[in-house]
Amino acid sequence: MNLSDFGHFSDPSLLILSSLADGPKHGYGMMVDIESMTGVHLGPGTLYGALARLEKSGLIQAIPSQDRRRPYQLTAAGIKALREQLSQLEKLASTGLKRLAQA
Amino acid sequence: MNVRAFLVRLYPPAWRSRYGDEFEALLEECLHSPLDVVDVALGALDAHLGFFNETNWRLWNMVNKHRTTILIVFAAYIAFVVGGLSLVGLLDDSPALKLMKTNAAISAAWTTIQVASVIALLAVIAGGTPLAVVVIRRAFMPSHSTLRMLLVPATAFLVLVLYGVFLASLGKGWLHLPGVLPTVSPEKFPIGNKLVLGGFMLVFILGAIASTAAVWKSIASLEEGTAPISAATANLSGVYRHAFILAVITSLAMLVMLIGTLVFGSLVHSVLPEWFSSNLGLLMIKTNLSYNITVTIMAMATLAGLFGVIRGFSVKKTA
Repeated sequence: MNLSDFGHFSDPSLLILSSLADGPKHGYGMMVDIESMTGVHLGPGTLYGALARLEKSGLIQAIPSQDRRRPYQLTAAGIKALREQLSQLEKLASTGLKRLAQA
Repeated sequence: MNVRAFLVRLYPPAWRSRYGDEFEALLEECLHSPLDVVDVALGALDAHLGFFNETNWRLWNMVNKHRTTILIVFAAYIAFVVGGLSLVGLLDDSPALKLMKTNAAISAAWTTIQVASVIALLAVIAGGTPLAVVVIRRAFMPSHSTLRMLLVPATAFLVLVLYGVFLASLGKGWLHLPGVLPTVSPEKFPIGNKLVLGGFMLVFILGAIASTAAVWKSIASLEEGTAPISAATANLSGVYRHAFILAVITSLAMLVMLIGTLVFGSLVHSVLPEWFSSNLGLLMIKTNLSYNITVTIMAMATLAGLFGVIRGFSVKKTA
C-alpha cells in the first residue's frame, strides 16, 4: 500500500488549518507559510477553493480588515478538528515508526 | 481588463461577491507562472461545479485525491478527441492519404498516431467503466441528482444524431434550404453550406463540453448523500486508484499522438507544401490554419492531461 492511501498529509484543508494554528494569516501568508513548512506549493485556486470550504463548514473565519488582504483565523470547531486530525496522524506516525524499529 | 481581473471573472458571481476582492489581491502577489493560471482556472471550474459545497468535515477530509486527476484527464481526452476528429476531417479525401501508402516515414507517423489512439481509447474505457457503473448505480438511487446529470450526454448525443439526419436529408435532396447545395466541391462551397456544417461542429463541441461537465459533476458528487460517508469513500478509493493509473496511460498516449501529429504534419508539409497553402481545410479555410487549430487543440488538451497527472503524482510524493 502506498503512503498516499492514508490521505490527510497533503490535503490543502489540513495544511491551511495547520498554518493558522499559530495565529491569523491572509492568503499569501498561508501560501508562504505552507511552502516553508512542508515544501508544498498551493496554487491560488486550490488555496481559495479549500478556504471557501473551510469557512463554509465553520472551521475558520475571516477577520474584519481595512486591507484587501483579508486574514483568517481558526474557530473553536477548527481547533478541535485540527487537534483530532493531528492526534490521529501522530498516533499513526508513532505506531509506524515503532513497528519499523522492531522489524 | 488585466489577466488577474479576467481570472477572477471566471468565478461565479456569488463566489466573487464574497472572495473576489481578496482573491484578486492574492493574485497580485502570487501569480507567477502559467501553472498558477491553470490552477486558478481549475479553481473557477470547481467553484462553478459546486465543489465547495462539500461542507462536511469527514467528507472533505476523505475526498479522494485521485479524483481530480481523473476528471482533468477525462476532460482533456474529450478535448483531444475533438482535435483528433478535426484532423481526420482535414485528411478526408486529401492528397495526404496517398502519401500514407507510398511514403514509409509518413506511414510510420500515421500508424503511431493510430496505435496511440487505440491505447488511449482502451485506457479510457478500462478506467471509466468501473466509475460509470458506480455513477449509473447511484443515478437510480432515490433523490439523487446524478440521473439528471446523465441525461445531458444522452440529450447531446440525440441532438447530434438529429443534426446528422438533417445534414443527410440536405445531402440527399429530401430537404431544401436557400443558399445550401446538396453536394459541394472545393470550388463550389457556398456560405450556406459552411454555416450548416459549422453548426454541426458547434453542436458537437457544445455537446462534448456539456457532457464532460455533467460527467465531471456526477463523479464529483459520488461521495455525497450517502451514509456512512467513510464507507462510500472507501469503496470508491479502489476504483479511483485503478482509474488514476489508466489516466496516466491516457495522458502519455495523448502526448505520443501529439508528437506523431507534429511529425506527420511536418513530413507531409515537406512533400506537399502546396496542399498546406491551399484552401482545403475544414469548411474550406486554409489548410495551414485548419492544421494549426487542430494541433493547438491537441497540444492544450495534452498539456491539461499532463498537468492533471503531474498534480496527482506530486500529491502522492508529498503524502
